[in-house]
Amino acid sequence: MSTAAQTIAIASALLAGGLWLQLPRGNSRGRWWGIVLAALGVCLLGRLVVRLQPEHWVGEAVFFGVAATTIVSAIGAVTMRSPVYCALWFALTLVGTAALLLFQGAQFLGIATVVVYAGAILVTFLFVLMLAQPEGHTYYDRVSWEPLLSACTGAVLIGLLSASIFLPASGKPAQSGWKNDRWSATERKQEIVHPQHMAHVGRQLFSRYLVAVEVAGTLLLVGLVGAVAIVSHGAPARQTGEAVERDRLAAREAHHG
Amino acid sequence: MDEVQVLERYLLIGALLFGIGLVGFVSRRNMIVMFLAAEMMLQGISVSLVAWGRFHNDWGGQMLVIFILTVAACEAAIALALVLMLYHRSGKLDIAFWQTVREANQPRYVDQQLPDEPLKVEHWPTLPPAGVEPVRSDDEVIHRSHV
Repeated sequence: MSTAAQTIAIASALLAGGLWLQLPRGNSRGRWWGIVLAALGVCLLGRLVVRLQPEHWVGEAVFFGVAATTIVSAIGAVTMRSPVYCALWFALTLVGTAALLLFQGAQFLGIATVVVYAGAILVTFLFVLMLAQPEGHTYYDRVSWEPLLSACTGAVLIGLLSASIFLPASGKPAQSGWKNDRWSATERKQEIVHPQHMAHVGRQLFSRYLVAVEVAGTLLLVGLVGAVAIVSHGAPARQTGEAVERDRLAAREAHHG
Repeated sequence: MDEVQVLERYLLIGALLFGIGLVGFVSRRNMIVMFLAAEMMLQGISVSLVAWGRFHNDWGGQMLVIFILTVAACEAAIALALVLMLYHRSGKLDIAFWQTVREANQPRYVDQQLPDEPLKVEHWPTLPPAGVEPVRSDDEVIHRSHV
């Protein structure tokens, strides 16, 4: 067993324990231990990708700061008792993800993530929460389904995924054709990290992926119709429009006469 | 820096986001939190796809993420409509309320009894009164010149 495999195994076990202790289980005993364990697990996994580069330390520090924010707020988003806090932590996750996308030169996606997710989806869900949420923590926010089993499942999945990234048995990138020196830095500047990024995105989107854009538009329309159908079909029967109009006329006559 | 190392980093973050989102989706009972966890899994996928796109110097990754955004918007609309409808019918956001739709051979899930949460008296910060209270004449209070 190599050191990387041991690191991944220990980190997964730590993550499983940390997530289990932090998930709502009816009481909040051991939450701080959960935070410590999860932080240790994430740090162990992070050790696999940290290469000390004193000449690029500012960029590295910013990157690891953003990555740590994303992961910490992701853990907060799934373990908080109050759904409003969950939504706020998730907003921080979104901001972190947007920054990570920007780091990779995906400018449009970084902005779109903030606008579409944080601006539209999350705010809409906060509206629903405020409509539906009673005072204090409800019963179902204080317990979870099988916290131990689900934490273990997630940690095993994370362990397997990182093993497939880092372990030589499944093909360490540098040894098995992942090596990618086909493009130099200048060639990259002409494609993904081009100064005119948006123009390139638009050109790609409306030439090579034009059919997909049409399908996506149709999907949005179908989603809209479906949402309206679900809401109107599921709501309790209301008065018809004529009855509402008759009532309104009667009320007005009573008021004037 | 080596492109492979950059790719490894983003793939690791994507894996962590996906796994944490999975834990949240499987274990939480509030329907809205479940939905947020599902969105978090999508975020993990997006990070990985963009990293692969950059690694191969290809637009495919970013284009796929744009369509993921579209599908996520549709999903949010449908999920919101469903959650609202279920809330109107049951009066709570608990997914366990709907366990009657489980398969016939599955046992019924019974909630354990939980002690009530201790009541916390919140002390919110207040502003100290400052300045002098203006003298008010009764006449002016009754017959205000403006509202």
